[in-house]
Amino acid sequence: MSTQRLEEVRSSFLADLESAGADAEAVEKVRIRYAGRRSGLLNELTAHLRELPNEKKRDYGRGLNELKKEIEAKLTEANMAVRDTVVNAEPGQIHVKGHPSTVSVGTAESRIDVTLPGTPLARGAEHPVHLVRRRIEEIFLRMGYDVEDGPEVEDDWHNFEALNIPPDHPARDDQDTFYLADGHLLRTHTSPVQARVMERREPPIRIIVPGRVYRRDSDLRHSPMFHQIEGLLVDEGITVAHLKATLETFLHALFSDEVDVRLRPGYFPFTEPSAEVDISCIFCGQKGCGVCSGSGWIEILGSGMVDPRVFEAVGIDSERYTGFAFGLGLDRVAMLVYGIPDLRQLFAGDQRLTRQFA
Amino acid sequence: MIFDSEWLTEHLDGAPDLDTLAARLTDCGCLVELREAGDGAEKWDVEVTTNRPDAMNHRGLAREAAVAADAVMRPLEFALEETGEDAASLASVEVEEGSACSRYVARVIRSVSVGSSPDWMQRRLLNCGVRPINAVVDATNYVLLELGQPLHAFDLDLVRGRRIIVRPAETGEKLMTLDGEERELDPSMLMIADAGGVIALAGIMGGADSEIHEGTTDVLLESAHFDALSVRRTARRLGMRTEASHRFERGCDPEMAAVACDRAAALIAELTGGRVCKDRIDVYPQPWEGQRMEFSVAALSAFAGLEIPTQRALEIFRGLGFAPEGQGDLIAVTVPPFRVDIERVPDLYEEVIRHVGYDAIPSQLPILGTTPGQRNPNWELVDRAREAAVSAGLAEVMTFSFIDPEIDDQVTTGPLCPGAPLPLDNPLAQNQGTMRRSLLPGMLAAAGANLNQGERSLAYFEQGRVFSLGGDGPEEHERLGVVLSAEDGKTEERFARLKGVVEHLIDEVGLPAVRWVRGGAPWLIADAGAVLTDDDGTAIGLAGMLSAELAARWDLRQDVAVAELDLARAAEPAPPRFEPLPRHPAVTADMTVEHSAELSYSELEEAVRELKSEQVSSVDLAARYTGAGLPEGSVRTTLRLVYRHPERSLTQDEVNAAQESLRRRLAERLGITFA
Repeated sequence: MSTQRLEEVRSSFLADLESAGADAEAVEKVRIRYAGRRSGLLNELTAHLRELPNEKKRDYGRGLNELKKEIEAKLTEANMAVRDTVVNAEPGQIHVKGHPSTVSVGTAESRIDVTLPGTPLARGAEHPVHLVRRRIEEIFLRMGYDVEDGPEVEDDWHNFEALNIPPDHPARDDQDTFYLADGHLLRTHTSPVQARVMERREPPIRIIVPGRVYRRDSDLRHSPMFHQIEGLLVDEGITVAHLKATLETFLHALFSDEVDVRLRPGYFPFTEPSAEVDISCIFCGQKGCGVCSGSGWIEILGSGMVDPRVFEAVGIDSERYTGFAFGLGLDRVAMLVYGIPDLRQLFAGDQRLTRQFA
Repeated sequence: MIFDSEWLTEHLDGAPDLDTLAARLTDCGCLVELREAGDGAEKWDVEVTTNRPDAMNHRGLAREAAVAADAVMRPLEFALEETGEDAASLASVEVEEGSACSRYVARVIRSVSVGSSPDWMQRRLLNCGVRPINAVVDATNYVLLELGQPLHAFDLDLVRGRRIIVRPAETGEKLMTLDGEERELDPSMLMIADAGGVIALAGIMGGADSEIHEGTTDVLLESAHFDALSVRRTARRLGMRTEASHRFERGCDPEMAAVACDRAAALIAELTGGRVCKDRIDVYPQPWEGQRMEFSVAALSAFAGLEIPTQRALEIFRGLGFAPEGQGDLIAVTVPPFRVDIERVPDLYEEVIRHVGYDAIPSQLPILGTTPGQRNPNWELVDRAREAAVSAGLAEVMTFSFIDPEIDDQVTTGPLCPGAPLPLDNPLAQNQGTMRRSLLPGMLAAAGANLNQGERSLAYFEQGRVFSLGGDGPEEHERLGVVLSAEDGKTEERFARLKGVVEHLIDEVGLPAVRWVRGGAPWLIADAGAVLTDDDGTAIGLAGMLSAELAARWDLRQDVAVAELDLARAAEPAPPRFEPLPRHPAVTADMTVEHSAELSYSELEEAVRELKSEQVSSVDLAARYTGAGLPEGSVRTTLRLVYRHPERSLTQDEVNAAQESLRRRLAERLGITFA
């Protein structure tokens, strides 16, 4: 007898255990045969150790210990598997330990019409305006812009004066304002957040500001509440060429690389020069359609180089820094992208509208 | 503003075809929005930006067109013949309020016979949307549209004392304006008066009493320069907006007042057979002085990101009437009197950039540090809340931030009231009169609308701000609201579904652990509502079945479960940490308890958790029963306990002993019996 005997026992144990499978009784029989306290084979092998000459004891002893450990581990594993699984199986009927009743597996009680509809999944859905917001945020986050936030109830300074719209400025006519009882107002654009960020941060500043805004106006194309997203970049040496490239990059990422981007001179009190930005109509390929009113172009955002008066109002050195700003209507983009005809539908609380975006 | 294409091109030499002209105007910032056929010419609707009153007339727009389309402006030519009779001998002008009227030009035209204006003039006026009235008035309107100078013609015989006095209104004065309205005046308003009282609103509209009529023979023609702010304030106060006020508010050209007066006088003479008296009456104490400005073409090029040749910049400024002078890199210009928008150097940059064209500017991305973008924590919070709600199967809605003040009253008495109401001064409608202090009113109105649309089950949420007036002014709080409704099902099931959603939201948003305390009036049914409070007893939410009274208010014909959570206390949830998976099997043991309904489930569960063996890894509700076989007011609750030992398998005997011990201690603590 030698270590060869240990190998023989190992092989036969593994074979026996495998054929016992997940049958608890069979596993127990294997345990008794090999590791039984009285008559197990391991006892016999241990007894043999004493009969060996000293020079062989070391190798044999080490091999025996390993075998013992292996057998114990395999038995524990097999017992674990047995405990909570199948005890006895025949086709279609499985008895599971711990479950008194018989569970049917692999049979059907009746013939199923497989063309019946599935159980609908209760999926949630985001509002399309937020879908568009997140898409735009992602584009700018990748370009290193921070996403900022600010109050919807504003003061006159941040909403108007700091943005070069003094009292009695005609531009106030275009932004019919809701006033609150205590002299505050509902912000008419997201631009006051520009002013707030510039008041507390030093350039370089690279931010976008999505948010809810309010104007006293209501018809097919106007809602007293809507959403804008605003962008601002301030640093040394920022040029009109930077503005142009940034807007093109953004609009290509948002719509498609195929759209043409056109900047037209425009007017905003807080930028100088200002530019209205159009994209080539994504619906008709500039042949002229209802969406672009036949012009082939869709007005998509307003932009410009930050007016030095704005820098001075918020305490940024207008000699040293230049910057650009731009803004667009999130609702308008959502309407455009998803083909929603009436702006006010977005705020009617109609769950059928949102469910379409699940 | 509507332009007549023929009238526009009449001022240009070498104008291109109309298509090219329209395109070039659009490129330089005067968007030709609409072109349609008019009488004898095209009608162009051109969007002239509010800072460019100088282009709100045909000659002004022609100046832009000339630079944009490489054409040349024709000089303004007209013949004016004067009689020997001095205008000053027939009328006088006194300006008392010089700050609001820096120039007042007048001419007298005698012996007019007022008829209708000729066809060519009527055609142009009509193309531009102005109704012809009579030759004198039409001539003034014509010159307004041509040169941008508002004019007014008085019947000189009806000007008492033949004196024009420019002064503020006196308290209590009234004026019947040309539109037949009687206007109440106050001293903040600038007036044109005669010896007997007010006869016109300066820069806005004339009075009915001195109006030109068929029998008028002598005309006093006013061409003045009124202060933009003064006209704007008066027009706003009176709720008026006229062609004249629109231009004065944006800023007129003081130099043009004289030219326009001559041009109109010549036209009136030509059309009515009248004779223009000698000289203008001209009160102009401080004549206009042009502002000189200087800029570097290199700085302009650097700002634009495009090399701009000095020659090109000089050309543009010459065409726009800035009389530029170049010296090396520097260009000096004189801002013309009609360009009220030019105050600083960047304003000059804009002139060059818009005529060079944005098309010419290259695209070049800015180079900044490669720092990653950060999202403001508030956006992280609200998006976390929105994502949690979407993952609970809810659809997102948006409703208006302003609601009916009457409904907002409900908030005052309910839990979660953020502070005093914040009403709007000028709401669009009474039912949008105040800022919402809760999301529920808007969401419940939406519930009514959804049910009316035939929706049978509702499952939506809104995330948004509520507003209130606190001690330090207006406050804004982020909220999350939920509405659930199904056609059938027991109240308990509806409530349980809502609670499941709310518990998920609390977890995902990172709100503190809450206690569900019965309450929630007036929103919720007394027996089926809860206020969610934190450890300090502060309400951070409410959840339950909508009360019958409020259901009736929005005409909801099926039970609706609602919840609202205040997100202020949310903290970003800690990232999950892996726990080693159990190596030994668990033993499940149920325990059925019979107890009074007065004992709430949470009290029972808390007691179990406190008294249980440490090997119990979870305690859950398995079943709850009340009804036949149980005494009135009793409940049978089955709890499912899972026992697990970290190092070995537990035997059934050990588990039985632990259950027995727990039963004994629960009986002692709560006085309950076991089934």
